[in-house]
Amino acid sequence: MARVRIVDLAHGRSGDKGDVCNVGLIAYDAPGYEILCREVTAQRVREHFGDLVKGEVSRYEMPGVRALNFVCRGALNGGGTLSLRSDHLGKVMYAWLLRMEIETEQPS
Amino acid sequence: MKSVTLGTGLAFWGDNLRPAADMVQRAEIDYLCCDHLAELTMSILSKQRSRDEQRGYTGDVVPLLREVLPTCREKGIRVVSNAGGANPSACARRIVALCQELGLQGTKVAVVTGDDIMGRIDELMAAGVEFANIDTGEPLSSVRDRLTQANVYTGATGIVEALERGADIVVCGRVTDMALYLGPMRHELGWSADDWGRLGPGAGVAHCIECGGQATGGLFAGGWAEMERLEEIGYPVTTVYDDGEAVISKTPGSGGAVTVATVSEQLVYEVLDPGNYLTADVTADLTDIRLEQVGPDQVRVTGIKGKPAPDTLKVNMGYRAGFVGEAQFTYTWPDAYKKAQAGIELLERRLAGAGFESDEVRIEYLGHSSMWGRGLIPEPDDPELLEIVVRYAARCRTDEQARKVYTESVPLYNNGPAGASGIGTRPAIKELYGIWPCLVPRELIHEQVDLVKA
Repeated sequence: MARVRIVDLAHGRSGDKGDVCNVGLIAYDAPGYEILCREVTAQRVREHFGDLVKGEVSRYEMPGVRALNFVCRGALNGGGTLSLRSDHLGKVMYAWLLRMEIETEQPS
Repeated sequence: MKSVTLGTGLAFWGDNLRPAADMVQRAEIDYLCCDHLAELTMSILSKQRSRDEQRGYTGDVVPLLREVLPTCREKGIRVVSNAGGANPSACARRIVALCQELGLQGTKVAVVTGDDIMGRIDELMAAGVEFANIDTGEPLSSVRDRLTQANVYTGATGIVEALERGADIVVCGRVTDMALYLGPMRHELGWSADDWGRLGPGAGVAHCIECGGQATGGLFAGGWAEMERLEEIGYPVTTVYDDGEAVISKTPGSGGAVTVATVSEQLVYEVLDPGNYLTADVTADLTDIRLEQVGPDQVRVTGIKGKPAPDTLKVNMGYRAGFVGEAQFTYTWPDAYKKAQAGIELLERRLAGAGFESDEVRIEYLGHSSMWGRGLIPEPDDPELLEIVVRYAARCRTDEQARKVYTESVPLYNNGPAGASGIGTRPAIKELYGIWPCLVPRELIHEQVDLVKA
């Protein structure tokens, strides 16, 4: 089993809508997108963000551009205008997700 | 096939003015579309207007137009902007004066209003509108007495009317970012207000380009080191065709890049459900969007679908939500971390002694845990650590309480543990505005267009 970090397979961007932070991942190639779709579930993303994300995480797929979009609720300490966080707009939340470790091969 | 070419001039209040200046000189565009507003901006502008009836619009519109207008008028480039913010009429008057100063008499300036419903809340509630918070379900009564502004994210209809009436410059308040682009598309390509099959792609393309440099190499995470000449970055220049397809490019000879990767990153920015991307004009379905490199710095966008616009429009209300007080201080080797802990404890004992009250406190170490927080990142407990910068921030009900964070931190400079430095000058106390997102039936909102000639 080979373990990689998402940063080896994808790039990303994140932003704010009220207290929601969305994190988009874009796979560099088709095999990478397949791995992301299999490994990077909403549940795992929720766990990876720990206490940074207080609410639900939803996942959406955009296959034509090999992208996954994660919508994280309760993720910005009350929202960009109220947040005490230095990253009050969630601009670098994507980078924390790129650090997540995943398996590149399916368990046999 | 008919087409229109739209230039992205600006992405927020205070954005870099050079891309717009370069674009009107060197690119072939029909429209310069400028977004000056973010969620917080309307609250700041409303505060300005409450102090002075001539203010309340984003001041950057003056230097921007001073730079680009002579060329725009010469080349017939029309400008569509939401710089009007909380006071579109005052903004239009200022622009008319600027046109006269620049010798551009005859310039037609349209002002689109109707988004500001602060004075209509009672009337609308009497008509059955609840204005409940769409995120939390709470009733408006929980913040009503603290409201600072209430603006509807309006669509492109007013802009289309202004362009039909011959406006050279269209000044709006809180229209959606997308409407700044959909207005010219509808006007030039003859799309009707319910042509969902074309408006959907139009809104999706507008979404990709409305943040300017974020589509052309700015913030690019997929290879930041290869991005060249970002000091001369070109903002998007986008040709939209009658069938809704589009090609995104940028100002010839500018820095940055337009690639499938740069546009993809912006495509996923600030999107919730891509299958239901809600705008005031149309619901776009971005699920099957495709991006294709069709030339150097040219990306074709296809595959976006459209569905009917929602029956309701989103309202952005702002309310006063207290104040933030902050202090920042640095401790150095040896035992930087332990000293920082002692410094924080001393500050907190002093705050307690000063009767400090706050709703929430956040402590971050800059350069270590300020971005993702101490919940995820272990404490920097290494005695060899060379320095640690503490940021102590608190949300308070009053500015008087918020101010204590800094004033009580000052003694750390000479009364606390050794190795303290880098205590800054007194920071400004930041007033907080909460955003109250809610809905209003679209048939209750009416835009108005007025035209003034310079």
